[in-house]
Amino acid sequence: MSLNPAQPMPDALLLRARAGDRDAFAALVRQHQASVFSIGLRMLNRRDAAEDLAQDVFLQLYRKLDSIETLEHLGFWLRRVAANLAIDWLRRAPHTATQPLDDSVEAAALERDTDPLMTRELARLLGELPPAPRAVMLLRYQEDCDVAEVAAALDMPVNTVKSHIKRSLTALRGRMIGAKLVDCEELP
Amino acid sequence: MNDLEERLRRAPRPEDAEERLRRALRPVDAPEGFTERLMSALQAREPRAVVAVVPTAARPTPRRFWMPAAMAASLLAAVLLGQYNAQLRDEARVARENAAGLAASRELMQALRVTSQKLDIAYQAVTKPPVTGAEENRS
Amino acid sequence: MNARIALCFTALLLAAPAFAEQPRGLLRLPEFPALAEKASESVVVTLDSNLLGIASRFLDASDPEQASAKKLVSSLTGIYVRSYTFDTDFAYPKADVESVRRQLSAPGWSRMVEAHSKKENTDVDVFMLVDNGKAMGLAIIASEPREFTIVNIVGSIDLEQLHEIEGKFGVPELEIESAPKKEEKKSVKKN
Repeated sequence: MSLNPAQPMPDALLLRARAGDRDAFAALVRQHQASVFSIGLRMLNRRDAAEDLAQDVFLQLYRKLDSIETLEHLGFWLRRVAANLAIDWLRRAPHTATQPLDDSVEAAALERDTDPLMTRELARLLGELPPAPRAVMLLRYQEDCDVAEVAAALDMPVNTVKSHIKRSLTALRGRMIGAKLVDCEELP
Repeated sequence: MNDLEERLRRAPRPEDAEERLRRALRPVDAPEGFTERLMSALQAREPRAVVAVVPTAARPTPRRFWMPAAMAASLLAAVLLGQYNAQLRDEARVARENAAGLAASRELMQALRVTSQKLDIAYQAVTKPPVTGAEENRS
Repeated sequence: MNARIALCFTALLLAAPAFAEQPRGLLRLPEFPALAEKASESVVVTLDSNLLGIASRFLDASDPEQASAKKLVSSLTGIYVRSYTFDTDFAYPKADVESVRRQLSAPGWSRMVEAHSKKENTDVDVFMLVDNGKAMGLAIIASEPREFTIVNIVGSIDLEQLHEIEGKFGVPELEIESAPKKEEKKSVKKN
């Protein structure tokens, strides 16, 4: 239990934000901005669009704070809204759905990476998936959601989620072999 | 030895594709100043509080006019409430129909995915040349 | 005599539903309730022409995948899928699959593809019902050790559109050019 008023208990932060404390809301934004921004970035393949999306998501959150019950619920809500908003945006502008990833986009992620070539290539391959399976893969592997959570977030049957994951992994493995990133014997 | 081969040579023991994906998809921070810009945008959207001074009536409304006014207000409220309830019922019905339609469209997409997957297997089998000693195809 | 005629007429009327023509291309697919209980995953889809119409209206024409689906189903009158996945090999009785296969020996149905993989113990058969030179029904029976799937599509099928759905609905087409070389290398190593 924290006795330091400068570092309040996580749930207390949510309660304060719900009560109108702007600083508490800003702290919640800082905690979750990377996750929301990254969903936008990898769905839309553009930094500026990802920031717009993230801003929209948090502005919506501010209006809906009263309905957020716990920090866990908050995380689920943010992932759900970010992913579905990104899918909607892509549907309205389908020509951007498979644009190549802006090179500057992954720069920060690559700085501390032990295998930047692999990272860049995987992110690029993921960006070529259609919107729905791309969102499934991001929630599963970026956000570490289990299959049921992904299904709930995207309003999809569990079997569809599993099918997307299976087919996407198969395609990614195939493309990784084709791009000579790995020897196929390395992959199960 | 080129860069790729060097990387593969120095690679640790094989990891599976899922673990590679997780590493490649670690969250990336939003650009610097994101939170500050967001809070400014929030501030700009908040409506200003408007304080209006409403002058009180010089003379109180005669009591004899209150009853009809109250009845009219009740009637109006009842009509509006009835309309509102009907609207809610319509909205609920439309929401149910939409949910059923969306569920049907999801089932349709799932059915087409399964069909596509199985046709893919058949297509691969008839177009891929047979591998000696591994499998046979006949069509 | 009149009573007999009346009786025959009544019998015919009562039997009318049995004589009512089943749409051509529609198979009698059981629900397989026993299998559904044993399966670790199941996909059961039953969309007749009414439901297909409703489903189609809710497809998003701006999504390329859903736009393709909308185009494909516009001339269909039914899509039926029974797909079951199990945790152990061949947990499903072959008799269930055979009962559907028998219907495909009826006039009009012909087998277009019979694919068998000894290595993966997989069989996929694709059947088409052709009526007056037009494809009016499609059936796919796929059996793998831990999964069996039956697909029945009814209606006027555009074979070109059907070919287009391979590789769609989820992922780009697999690139397999480099894979066979690795497989050959594997089989040599095993030998």
